[in-house]
Amino acid sequence: MSLFGTTSGFGAGGTGVFGNATTDSHNPMKDVEVTSPPDDSISCLAFSPPTMPGNFLIGGSWANDVRCWEVQDNGQTVPKAQQMHTGPVLDACWSDDGSKVFTASCDKTAKMWDLNSNQAMQIAQHEGPIKSIHWIKAPNYSCIMTGSWDKTLKFWDTRSPNPMMSLQMPERSYCADVVYPMAVVATADRGLIVYQLENQPSEFRRIDSPLKHQHRCVAIFKDKQNKPTGFALGSIEGRVAIHYINPPNPAKDNFTFKCHRSNGTNTTTPQDIYAVNAISFHPVHGTLATVGSDGRFSFWDKDARTKLKTSEQLDQPITACAFNSNGNIFAYASSYDWSKGHEYYNPQKKNYIFLRNAAEELKPRNKKW
Amino acid sequence: MGRKKKKQMKPWCWYCNRDFDDEKILIQHQKAKHFKCHICHKKLYTGPGLAIHCMQVHKETIDSVPNAIPGRVDIELEIYGMEGIPEKDMQERRRTLEQKSQESQKKKSNNQDDSDEDEDDDDEAGPSVPQPAVVQPQQSYAAPMAQLVMPPVAGVPGMHPGAYQGMPPMMPGVPPMMHGMPHAMHGMPPGMMQMGGMMPPMMPGMPGMPHGMPHHMAPRPGMPHMAQAVGLMASRPAVPGVQPAVSKPLFPSAAQAQQSTSGVPASNPHGAASSDPPKATFPAYTQPSVSSSTSSSNPSSGAVAKPPATVATKPATLTTTSATSKLIHPDEDISLEEMKAQLPRYQRLTARQGQAHVAAPPVVSVGGIMPPQQGMLPQQPGMRHPMHGQYGAPPQGMPSYMPGGMPPYGQGPPMVPSYQGGPPMGMRPPVMSPAGRY
Repeated sequence: MSLFGTTSGFGAGGTGVFGNATTDSHNPMKDVEVTSPPDDSISCLAFSPPTMPGNFLIGGSWANDVRCWEVQDNGQTVPKAQQMHTGPVLDACWSDDGSKVFTASCDKTAKMWDLNSNQAMQIAQHEGPIKSIHWIKAPNYSCIMTGSWDKTLKFWDTRSPNPMMSLQMPERSYCADVVYPMAVVATADRGLIVYQLENQPSEFRRIDSPLKHQHRCVAIFKDKQNKPTGFALGSIEGRVAIHYINPPNPAKDNFTFKCHRSNGTNTTTPQDIYAVNAISFHPVHGTLATVGSDGRFSFWDKDARTKLKTSEQLDQPITACAFNSNGNIFAYASSYDWSKGHEYYNPQKKNYIFLRNAAEELKPRNKKW
Repeated sequence: MGRKKKKQMKPWCWYCNRDFDDEKILIQHQKAKHFKCHICHKKLYTGPGLAIHCMQVHKETIDSVPNAIPGRVDIELEIYGMEGIPEKDMQERRRTLEQKSQESQKKKSNNQDDSDEDEDDDDEAGPSVPQPAVVQPQQSYAAPMAQLVMPPVAGVPGMHPGAYQGMPPMMPGVPPMMHGMPHAMHGMPPGMMQMGGMMPPMMPGMPGMPHGMPHHMAPRPGMPHMAQAVGLMASRPAVPGVQPAVSKPLFPSAAQAQQSTSGVPASNPHGAASSDPPKATFPAYTQPSVSSSTSSSNPSSGAVAKPPATVATKPATLTTTSATSKLIHPDEDISLEEMKAQLPRYQRLTARQGQAHVAAPPVVSVGGIMPPQQGMLPQQPGMRHPMHGQYGAPPQGMPSYMPGGMPPYGQGPPMVPSYQGGPPMGMRPPVMSPAGRY
């Protein structure tokens, strides 16, 4: 718990080490830069699970690689290892014991990377690029869930070349999240499917999308008992829906809110509305972070329905974010996401991963009344 | 009237004692007068609602209901229209009404009429983002990829009619590998040189050309370049080295489209030309001999055909702009990742999925678009090709016609019945299966 346990430790370490790199707009929040970031857009970030001592961060990129850094107490990052796919890496996750990392790629395969031996082997195969990968740890089984643009959701035991199970989806998988015993997959054409994972995975319910635009990211949140109870769904239209699976009062409990938009509606110029690229829930406070194509991240309290903070604007979109296991570190990746088309792609721009102290900023405010 | 003796109470506003004819109007009144946020003018539904709004949105505390008469300012009371009014006030109201009723009905009528409240700035105004064009054919993601591959071309359907002028007609009935040729001939001048390079494969067939060609060509005014073109080609011996380049069609789509077009009319592969005046334009091309020889010598051209399929269909599009907002997102309704994955730089490593299946439909659609072409005369300006945008006029749209442009055999079978004849068949071997390529 000493890791990032105090604001001063982390913050001070960051500025001390990287104090000189904060002048231009690539890092307006003056956060700690991760060393040796990927050479192409960063598609995903994930911190090691609480079962592991220390903090390790993995990041997948469009340069086909997935890298692992150790994040030290003072905020310094040490590149540890990397593995390659033969296509861009679209997602990555950890096993619950932290010994392995699973990666999903456009090369239609998923790999299991054993961090101890630094060996990677293929564990899954799809007909199309694999967009999401999640580790499922159930009492009676454990497996990997992969969602692909081939419109299937497959479950792999990592030993067999054939999936344990393959579920057909109506559309291509765009994003997914798993918090046992619940999984949710958002697909193209605004599809939304909830799966239950007890005993074995099965489709639980299809939900009419609360959003009117293309789904882009989804994250499950838990209730007070630490059970998954709903999810936050982000769309390309700067909007997030908070959706409970079985709310006592659906009309009141479910809602959407706007985010990642340029200026107010009352100005004469049209409002620029950006995609919500990723959503991540704080493991302790239950508040959430959203990151957008507008190059900002925002922190929200869904229960009080308030915004806790919005960052300054980075010069590049933020494509991924993650909290570490105790919620003290917020990592976010700045790189081009193609939202403005190829004309705006600037290969000169570096990609960055930043680390921010999240211990205080994500605390819900005290209820004032 | 007499009946109304009993008179159930008319709707009235607890906050200001005003009477209304209709409870709906009363509610409007309350929203506008008593439940409107003084900061952003949002209209809430109840007093507590307003308080919560101000607290959450503006961090301000509201302690009384605006515009309420003294004693009726309680922000905590949940009153909505006639609902929630404290019983004692209800009774009091009844009493006073009874008293008043005798004396003046008129007074009330005065009050009633105005439903008041202008629809002022209701900035409920969500994102006035238009409904997404949700329509979303499934090929969508494959399709766009093609576009990405060839960015410049993307989205320029039916662009430059001019580009083709003169050319297209010959397509019909022309064996696939021939494509390169005509273009070459036509657009020759500047950009053509490389074309020459691509031509080689068909060279073998060349010999046949000269006679057939000029011969038929001559009459056609639109084809002036032909002769020289041929000459040019002839003079350029095969340049094998260049071939590979060809196989990386910058505009496979174009090629492909072309392909399909040509295929349609081509139902009379060989002899047809001579016998059928209109189509006779390029009988030479249809000569079996040519094709056969070409095929053998022209393996790589087949390969070129790979990407074709996808192009034809555009994915569903999003409405990204409206009067008050703009979605910062490409027009296609596919994910950014899918779009990005289609970029050539990621593709070489990536396997593209879906290509194979997707292939067929798009092709067909292209065919659908194209048909008009077949009957066209060379000079016809109306000609248009969906893909040629960038080639605009000058180069005559030529480049896009890669010699190898024809779709791999398996890919567009439905479309290319025409190939059945002799020549195209020969092409098959070279066809790289698109699948393999991807």
